[in-house]
Amino acid sequence: MNKLWIDERYCKGCLICVDVCPTKAIKASKEINDWGYILPTEHDMNSCKACGLCELMCPDFAIAIEEVNG
Amino acid sequence: MKKHPMLKYLKEEGPLGQRMPLIMCPGCGAGQVLNYTLHAVERVMNEDKIGKENFLFISGVGCSARLTSHYLNFDSAWTIHGRTLAIATGSLLANPAFKIIVFTGDGDTGSIGGNHFIHACRRNIDVTIVCINNGVYGMTGGQVAPTTPVGAITTTTPYGNIEEAFDLCKLAETAGASFVARWTTAHPHQVIKSITKGLRKKGTAFIEILSQCPVHSKSSPVAMLRELKENTIQISKKKESGEGKTLIGEFCDLDKPEWNESYQKLIDQFDHEEGKS
Repeated sequence: MNKLWIDERYCKGCLICVDVCPTKAIKASKEINDWGYILPTEHDMNSCKACGLCELMCPDFAIAIEEVNG
Repeated sequence: MKKHPMLKYLKEEGPLGQRMPLIMCPGCGAGQVLNYTLHAVERVMNEDKIGKENFLFISGVGCSARLTSHYLNFDSAWTIHGRTLAIATGSLLANPAFKIIVFTGDGDTGSIGGNHFIHACRRNIDVTIVCINNGVYGMTGGQVAPTTPVGAITTTTPYGNIEEAFDLCKLAETAGASFVARWTTAHPHQVIKSITKGLRKKGTAFIEILSQCPVHSKSSPVAMLRELKENTIQISKKKESGEGKTLIGEFCDLDKPEWNESYQKLIDQFDHEEGKS
C-alpha cells in the first residue's frame, strides 16, 4: 500500500489533488492546518497506483506519494 | 517524511528565514506552471546531460514574476516590467550557452512588454517563453487585461468586457517564433512535453498556458480547471466540435536561423577576412 505524505506547512487546501486522482485514493479531510486550510487525507490507498498526477498538479509542492512494494 | 520531488530545485530557506509556502493564492495556476516547468527542466538536464549552471530564469513583474528568484535554486533574475525579453537578449549575448526560460504573464507579454515580445520573436532569439495567461491583471486587483475574453466581468469592467481578446499565439507565430504552443494548466503532460521541446529548440519557443485565477474569478480552482478542459479543443480535433472553443496544441514548429548564431557567423566571417590580409 502506497503512503501519502502531506506537508501541512505548504498545503493551501485547493483540493486539486482530490479532484484529479483517477482512482479516488484521497479525499478532503475534516482537519485544518495552521493557516486554516482543509487538508487532503487518505481515503482508499489500496487503489493508489502511484501515477503521480497529484504530485504533478499540486501548485504548492505539498503532496508526495511514497511507493511501497508489496 | 517524503517530500515533493520538485522541492529539491526550490529554496525552502533563505537568509531571512523560511521562504515557502509560495506567495500565490490557493489553487493558483502559477504554482502549477512552476511545477511543470521544473519537470521539463529535470528531463532536459537528465537526458541531454546539461548542468544546472546552464539554466537561467528571468521574470518581469506580476503574479508570474514571483516564481523566479524568490524560490528557485537556479540562476535567476527578477527584472523590470515587460522588459524580460530585452534582458534575456543581453544575457544570451553574454553567454550563448545559456538555456533561458522566461516566465511572463499575459500583461507582461501582451501589453506592457508587447513590443519587446514581437521583436524577440522576429529576431528569433534562443529563449523559451512560458506565458501564464490568466486573463486578468491578477496582482493589482483583477483589472481588465488585453487577454480578457469578451463579456468577462472584472473590477474595471463591471458590466462585461467589450474588447476583443489578444491571441498571443497568433501574434508570436506571425512575428516569426520557431515554436508556438498553447495548453492549459489542466494538461500537465502536454505542457511538460512542449516546454521540453522548446528548451531543445534553437530559436524562440513561445508556450502560452491558460491558467485559472480563482480569486478574481470568484470560483473554485477545481471548477476552473474543469472549465479550462471543457472550453478548449486540440487543433487535431477542431473540425469535430470546435465551435466557440479555444484552440490548444502546438501551432508551429519550424527550423529557422537563430539570431545569435547568425551574429556569430558574421563575426567569424570578418575574423577570417582579417586573418587573410
